[in-house]
Order: sequence, then C-alpha cells, then structure tokens
Amino acid sequence: METGFLQEQRTLEGDLNSKTSHKNSVDYLMNWFRSRSIFVLAYGTGCGAIEMPPTFTSRYDAERLGIRGAATPRQADVIIVSGYCSYKTLRRIIRTYEQMSNPKYLLALGSCTINGGMYWDSYNTIKKLEDYLPVDMYVSGCMPRPESILEGFIALQKDISNGKASSWQKYEDNYEFYRKNQEAVLGKTVEPSYEADWYLYDGGL
Amino acid sequence: MFNEIKNQFATNDVIIKRDDLYKVSVNYERVFSLIDFVGDSYNYKTLNAITCTDWIEDNHFAITYMLTTIDRRSTFMIQTMVSRENTKIKSLSQKFKQAEIMERDLAEMYGIDFVGNKNLKELSLENWVHTPPLRREFDTLEFVNNHLTFREGRDDNVDTKVEAKRLRAIKKAEKEALKKAKEEAEAKKIQEENQDGK
Amino acid sequence: MILLDLVLMFIIAYTFGFLYYGLYRNITARFQRRFGPPVYQSFVDSIKFFLKEDSTSHGWMFYLGPIIMMSGAVMTLFFIPLFNTGESFKGLSEYGNLFLVLYLLVLGPLGNALGVGVGGNPFGVMGVTRGLTRLFALEMPFYIAVIAIMSLSGSADITTIATEQTTMNAIIYPLLFIGALFSFIGMMGQSPFDVVGAPVEVYSGPASEFSGKFLALLMSQSAIFTFAKLVLMVDLFLGGASGFIELITKTFILFLFVIAFGSLYGRFKTPQSVDFLLKVPTIISIVGLILATWSS
Ligand code: SF4
Repeated sequence: METGFLQEQRTLEGDLNSKTSHKNSVDYLMNWFRSRSIFVLAYGTGCGAIEMPPTFTSRYDAERLGIRGAATPRQADVIIVSGYCSYKTLRRIIRTYEQMSNPKYLLALGSCTINGGMYWDSYNTIKKLEDYLPVDMYVSGCMPRPESILEGFIALQKDISNGKASSWQKYEDNYEFYRKNQEAVLGKTVEPSYEADWYLYDGGL
Repeated sequence: MFNEIKNQFATNDVIIKRDDLYKVSVNYERVFSLIDFVGDSYNYKTLNAITCTDWIEDNHFAITYMLTTIDRRSTFMIQTMVSRENTKIKSLSQKFKQAEIMERDLAEMYGIDFVGNKNLKELSLENWVHTPPLRREFDTLEFVNNHLTFREGRDDNVDTKVEAKRLRAIKKAEKEALKKAKEEAEAKKIQEENQDGK
Repeated sequence: MILLDLVLMFIIAYTFGFLYYGLYRNITARFQRRFGPPVYQSFVDSIKFFLKEDSTSHGWMFYLGPIIMMSGAVMTLFFIPLFNTGESFKGLSEYGNLFLVLYLLVLGPLGNALGVGVGGNPFGVMGVTRGLTRLFALEMPFYIAVIAIMSLSGSADITTIATEQTTMNAIIYPLLFIGALFSFIGMMGQSPFDVVGAPVEVYSGPASEFSGKFLALLMSQSAIFTFAKLVLMVDLFLGGASGFIELITKTFILFLFVIAFGSLYGRFKTPQSVDFLLKVPTIISIVGLILATWSS
C-alpha cells in the first residue's frame, strides 16, 4: 500500500481511468491525450487568482496531472475565470477566449461567477457567467482552496476524456445568444480597444 | 496662520482636527488663491487627494482638496461647496500634475466637469452611459435588477430571517406542547394521589 | 541504405529528445521538491497540440518559420554522426563537415525570426530580438573553442575529431570545454541565459503567436535539436561514442549537468547575459586556446 502523496496521486488518477463511452479507439485516444495535457492560461480576475499560484507550484503541484501554465491564449486550452468579472474584465475575457484555438474549455472559480457572490448588488459586475460565455465546470467556494481547484480540474479532465466537455461547440452553435447577452451589458462594442491610455497621455511615457 | 486666513479669505469655518490636520471651508471663488497662499507661505506644496461628498439633501457637492507639507508632517484640507447640477470646476492639473488623474476619477464617478483638464476621459469604467455611479440618485439595486439577471435559487433556498422565525415558532410550539403534557401528567398524578388518598 | 539510416536517426532523436524533455521536467520538479509530471508528458503535450485546430492565419510566410526551424534541426541531426566507429548511423556526415553544422545551428533561429516577424506579435518580435542579440554573444566562446579543437586535431570532420581523441578533449583542454559549455547552456535555452522564451517577460517569446500544429512542430523541433546538439558536444569534447549505451550515458550526463545548472540559477537580463558571455566564457576560451597552442 502506497502512502503519502503517491497514494493521493493514485486516488486522483484512479478517477480518470474510469469507463468511458467512445465511438472507437481513435476517439478514445484523442480524448485521452487532450485530457492528460492541459495548458492553463495565466490570467486571473478577482481574488480567486491568488489561489492559483499555490495550485501550480510545489505544494499542490498540478503539473503531476499534466496541468501547467501557458503564457499566451494561442497555446492555452483552459481559461480560468477566477472570480468576479466587472464589465471591463469581461471584455478582455471575451477577447482572450475568442483568441484561443479549439478545443478550449472554461473553468469558473468562486461564487462570484456562479451568482454574483458578495458582489450581488454591484452595478459593475456580472452575476451569471454562463450567460456570456459557456462554462465547462464551476468550482464553488469563496474563495476555493487549491484542493477544490484540483478537484475541479480532475472533474474537467474526466469530462474531456468522456467527450462531454464541449463548451466551445456550444459557443459556436449559440453564438447569437451569447452575443446578445454580451451586448446587453457591454453595449454594441464588445471588444476592448487596443490602445492603452494611461501612460500614453501627454506625449508618451 | 488661521487669523490671517480668516481675514484674507473671509471665512470663519476653521477646524483643528488634530495638531497636524486642519480643515478650512471657503467659498468656491477663493479656493485656488487659498491653495496658492498656503503653498507659498506655509509650505503645503503637495496635493494628496481631491475628494467629493454628495450632499443630496442640501443639493451640493463638497469638494475637498488635501494638501501636505513637504516633510509630510501636516495636512491641510480645503473644502468648498459647489452646486450638484452641471458642475464646472477649474482644473488644478496645470499646477499639480497628479490632479489630472484624481479629476478624471471624480469626473467619471460624479459627472463633474473640470475645465482645463485635457485628459478627462473614463478611468476605470468603460463606455458608461448611465448616471455616474457614485451620485446618490443612482440606485444600485434598481440598476442591477433592471440590467442583470440573477440566478434563480434552489427550492430550498429561503429567506433566512423568515426561516429562523418559522423554526423558532415550531420550537416554541413544541416546548409549549411539552410543558402542557408535563402539566397534564402532573395534574393526573395529583388526581391519582388524591384518589389513592381517598 | 542511407535512407534507412536517416529514418532511424530521426526516430532515435525524436524518441530520446522527448524522453530527455520529460526527464527534464521531472528532474526540475524534484529539484523544486514536487512530484513532477510523468516522463511521457512532453510527448503527450506535443500530440495534443497536433490535435488542436489552428485559429490564426498570418499568411504563408508565418507558417514557414516553424518549418524552417524543423528542417534546420533535422539537417543538423543528419550531418552529425551518432557513433564514431562502424558504418551505420553516420547520416550525411561524410558529405559535410563541422563548418556546415555550425552554419546549420543558426539556420533555425533565423528562419524563426522570419516567421515571427510576419506574425507581428510584439512579444514574439521582442523574443526574437532578444534571441538574435544573445546569439552573437553565444557564438563567440563556442566558435573559439570549436575552432581551437578543429585546428588541434587538424580536421574539420566530426568523425575524425571524435575518433582521434584517445583521452577526451574535455580533459586535455579543460578551459576550452568550460568556455564551450557556457554557450552550450545558452543554446539549450537554460537559465541563466534563457531570455528568449521567458514566459514572465515576453510571454514565451517567439512561440507566443503559434498555436496548434505549428506549436507541436516547434516542440518536436526543439526535442530533436536538443538531441543533435548533445551528440555534437559529445563528439567534439567527450570522445564520441562507439555504441548505443555509451552514447546515451554520455549525452545524459551532459544533459543532467545542464539542467542541474539551469535550475540553480535565476535569469540574466539580455544585456547582462550578453555582457557575461562576452566577458567570462570568451576569455576562458581564449586563454584555453593560447594554452592549447602553447603546449602542442
Ligand atoms: S467568490 Fe469570493 S474570493 Fe472569489 S472573487 Fe468572489 S468574493 Fe472574491
């Protein structure tokens, strides 16, 4: 019997190798590769972002499950929306999400993304993330500890290897619905402008 | 110092809050000359903050300029009242560079127009078309209800106050029932004893 | 016959490149006191990227970058003999010498610069600029050491250089080896000379705009290139290898040294690393060159 983190590792991985329903073995293999290698975009909104560094560094070490950080949206598979998103952040999230290449997944952390959390009466944050972007997995808590983030990742991996996580497909199919909701809160110009103003005023830096 | 200010700037409203924190209220026309005056004569040369308080009942804004000495030992607050509607204030950004961003903040949150500030665009909001959010006539809850959708609660999601009252009532009823039962039992006992005694 | 040879060389380099990369991640994880990913993780990553869709398009020039890099890596591999004895696994090494290999070593970065420049991503351009700046400094000590070795053994043929060492070059000319080793660490993209793809500052640098299959190509390229460079170092300084086990042992020891060195040090800034490379290793190499010519 293994003890310590080896045992933990087996328990975590044991979940992943459960029975899956696939059309054929190629399908199975593809999903296996996808579930075992997850690049997470290093992007944080809200307070939940502070729990991500411990998740990815030595103490909780998400890399043993094949989860590691990616620096740019082009390389990332998963974007974590880690807390409240104000309108301004939502614009950036939407652009970043649309820059990622398929298949892509979205993980939402914290009660703020689920129902507004403690910002339920704030004029400047959205209350339900899934109205604006398709969510694969919610992790509840305010804020979720790294353990629950890892648990959420493993649930996501299970969904991916089962072929159930297909939110990007949903986004493409129901694009009008999402776009309508986005425009309802953000106005007609959903994408943020590329110019950064605060250090450009008065003739530059 | 205060006598000088009182005489020169026609104000009686000088408050010494601490030995290093003073507050003076003056008319709007005299604010900028007062800022120049304390800066030149008493070394209050740094602008710390510009704040705004919304007195909706009296229909004015209270604008406060906070100035600090160069050795950072003492702070001087200069307050002035301006009207709430179509507020126009002279910008301080020519004298203090840092005033630019503070004025941007106030302009965005209260809708105050700072005349002379070249860079008066939104600071932290983006494309905001409604009432400036820190004015008190802006009802946050109403805005949220009108513009955003809430997640519907679960079936067992009830108002905690109501629920607590209900639970308390149930508990009370139970207690009373228990008491009643006890009393009845005792009464019966007494009755039985009485019968035995007979 | 030679075709079979080439295919086998490619397969060996691919397998061992990814194996080394997996080990690299695992060993660094152990240095940082964590469990680390499984050995096959890098391979899984690259396959996953092959399965992703491409969402970017910047014209054909953009896609040429990774392809030039890949062909540069593969050509480098083919011109470096794996063993110094026997007939097999020599690749094309009899048709080209060390000069050609030195030229091919920089082909990849230049090709990449072409592609990234077209992409127009500011971070990519920044990474490429850093890379090219560093490259000049990187080549200095390496070229001095390699040219010294070439003139000392009187040949530009890698096989000859490898066979003629009765005792290893690294032991006879330690200063040359140390000088070359510094640039080698930089060539492997290890700290403290890893300014090019720094994920914190330039968001993975040249690779920042590539996604999907082209990123997978870049990953495979770097795996193959790593192996080729390791074999080159072993051939030049560690006496080559006569058998498979010797080759793996020597390359792995060299690789282990490089990653251990890399995980010990933080990152230099670009000017710092150029400064350092132009001062310390170059001087070491020059002193080594003088001493070597003196003694012979
Ligand atoms: S859920 Fe809690 S921790 Fe997370 S962003 Fe909201 S308030 Fe912060």
